[in-house]
Amino acid sequence: MKRFWTYVFIALILAGLVSIGLFAGRFVVYLSMRVLILSIFALGYNLLLGRTGLLSFGHAAFYAGGAYGLGLISIHVTTNPLLGIIVGVGLACIMALVIGFFCVRHTEIYFAMLTLAFGMMVFSLIWNLREVTGGDDGLVGIVRAPISLGFASIPITKTSHYYFFVLFCFILTVALIYLIRRSPFGLVLSGIRENDRRIEFAGLSVRNYRLAAFVISGTFAGLAGALGALLESNANPFSAHWSHSAEPILVSLIGGIQTFTGPVVGSVVFILLREIIERFTQNWMLWFGLILLIIIMGLRGGVVGGVAQLFRRKRSHVAKSGGNR
Amino acid sequence: MEKKGITRRDFMKASVLTAGAAALGPGVLKPTGVWAATPKIKGPIKVGYQAIMSGALAGYGEFHKMGAVMAMEEINAAGGIAGAKLEIEFRDSTLKAPEAIKNARYFVDSWGADFLAGVDSSGQALALAPVMKELDRILMVTHAATEKLTEEQVYKKGIKQVFRICTPTYQDGNAAAFVAKDLPAKTWATISPKYEYGYTCWEMFKNTLGKLKPDAKFVAESWAPFGTTDFRPHINTIMDANPEGFYSTEWAGELITFVKQAKQAGMFDKIKHVLFPVGAAMDVLEGLGNEMPDNIWMSGRYFFQYPDTHINNDWVARFHKRWNHYPAYVSETGYSTMYAFKKAVEAAGSKETSKVIDALAGMMLVSPAGYRNFRKEDHQAMYDVPWGLTKSDPKYPFKVMGKQVVIPAKECFNRPPFEGPETMPPF
Repeated sequence: MKRFWTYVFIALILAGLVSIGLFAGRFVVYLSMRVLILSIFALGYNLLLGRTGLLSFGHAAFYAGGAYGLGLISIHVTTNPLLGIIVGVGLACIMALVIGFFCVRHTEIYFAMLTLAFGMMVFSLIWNLREVTGGDDGLVGIVRAPISLGFASIPITKTSHYYFFVLFCFILTVALIYLIRRSPFGLVLSGIRENDRRIEFAGLSVRNYRLAAFVISGTFAGLAGALGALLESNANPFSAHWSHSAEPILVSLIGGIQTFTGPVVGSVVFILLREIIERFTQNWMLWFGLILLIIIMGLRGGVVGGVAQLFRRKRSHVAKSGGNR
Repeated sequence: MEKKGITRRDFMKASVLTAGAAALGPGVLKPTGVWAATPKIKGPIKVGYQAIMSGALAGYGEFHKMGAVMAMEEINAAGGIAGAKLEIEFRDSTLKAPEAIKNARYFVDSWGADFLAGVDSSGQALALAPVMKELDRILMVTHAATEKLTEEQVYKKGIKQVFRICTPTYQDGNAAAFVAKDLPAKTWATISPKYEYGYTCWEMFKNTLGKLKPDAKFVAESWAPFGTTDFRPHINTIMDANPEGFYSTEWAGELITFVKQAKQAGMFDKIKHVLFPVGAAMDVLEGLGNEMPDNIWMSGRYFFQYPDTHINNDWVARFHKRWNHYPAYVSETGYSTMYAFKKAVEAAGSKETSKVIDALAGMMLVSPAGYRNFRKEDHQAMYDVPWGLTKSDPKYPFKVMGKQVVIPAKECFNRPPFEGPETMPPF
């Protein structure tokens, strides 16, 4: 019975997402794409933060890796976005492997600081390699050419067409992350978060598992970056800045780091809230910060965790009162 | 044990379904133009304006706003644009490209803007150009200075929706070289921002001065990253090279910090010929007050003392009365942008993008900064901005321009087709 409702719920959400692409106005479609891309970024990221218990401040570097990988291919080699995305994601994956190799030896604050340092190193590399990356102007003029698969070619130039491509990648990400979390591998990651000593005594290499989680999350950041570059038709150095690394952290915290859907809900709240506030005041940063503070401090376990708790409490309350009678 | 959630198979089914729907979607049910804003000649004329309104440079946004709001008040008091009311909405651009794009899309697709204006950073302007083509709305750039915007995006790529009302890097690089050519200094050095704007201007300055004065030498350069607060190592590098002339495209708060520290180090006593291409900005002059040394060459995108015409003097007085500030250059460009839209819409008899583009290209605008001519090929406004030597004036609580030199835009702006001979000054 419960499974049936989950099924209906997912079908409804999918129908909603598809109808946004079909019927919504251009701005809503654009904003939804930003939510989806941020969700991909945060879903991958939360595998590291929520699941493995590692706080990274450098994931924007991998996002930028995806964006610049795609941008460079698109400008110099071929405009086929599929190849660009593969190269972008591959670049992010390799970067995550190299940076992760040095970082996962440490935990907690040392890990956070190391990732921050590596992230900012990538940022200054992008900023200073002007001939390759265009410096602070970034890479401009990335075109959304049709995706050619050899036998068919799918146009994504129009915002509404590209939306379905982003949606497809989003669903793919959700599915993959879901599978990873449920796999024995995912359970080991949880084990590391709860008690890494015990995992070590179980005969597993904590370091390798951490590195794997790091690389997987970095790869999804790269996918988000490549999709983002195609969406905005440019890659900019600030996408590698630590302030951008903070976004998936915030989003995960808003939604709830211990939940699977938390990062997605967090992304919706993060982008919509800012959009709404900006319509009322130019002093948006103050209000945005205040509301985020209330959500993060007030709802323990984030929006998803908080709502789930509310339901549980209600249910147990009903059960209790029923028992008393 | 009860199995919670969904299985892998369920997931596969769901994803195949959506993928199918996604593939079919665009083909079967195309979104029609019902949601797209259809511009009418009637109704208010809406301008979406974005500028930096948060962080250390928020003061710039305020100056943008003062100019644009004043133009709106005046235009509406005088009957609007072709009888229609002018409305402006402002948004914080945060200097990041994705935010600029989001703002532009919000303005056009959600708020229903007919025109867009503003934009401070070059990176943002370049990122916006293809978006303006997609949205098919005119963007009037009022501050971002990169010549790549007009040379590459407008001229070479043919993005006709982009115009620029302020002077580009030509004023900072080329015109500065014309000023430097007549100075007795032969060796030059720079401390400039470590990003594209700084590099481009210094490159232009070197190239043009090298042609105008073949014996000029460039002896030292030191690049200060964005957000530099301690310029002393840079100042030492330059003083060690002992140049006769000094050039710097530092701007806003960083220029203020730099001038204070250079003064302490005695740099202005040692180096007599100093050029600040964006020194004649009100935030810098007001911020430095009497600490700005005398006899420094400075320029900007407009300076309120030039031209000495009735229109300009009258405007400066009105501006001062309304805001209790002297207009910054972004105030003038913001103000004139609204009048440019007004003139073009009235000439086109429509607010339709393609018609207004035709009216704007090649249009002559009378503005506080003087006559502006929007060059047909690259949509760059051609107008003259003076270079002047700083001096004290008891009438103002800050330094103003004493001796002024005007390098006509025709002489110092690059010319289309921007490649090959006779496209870069001197002509």
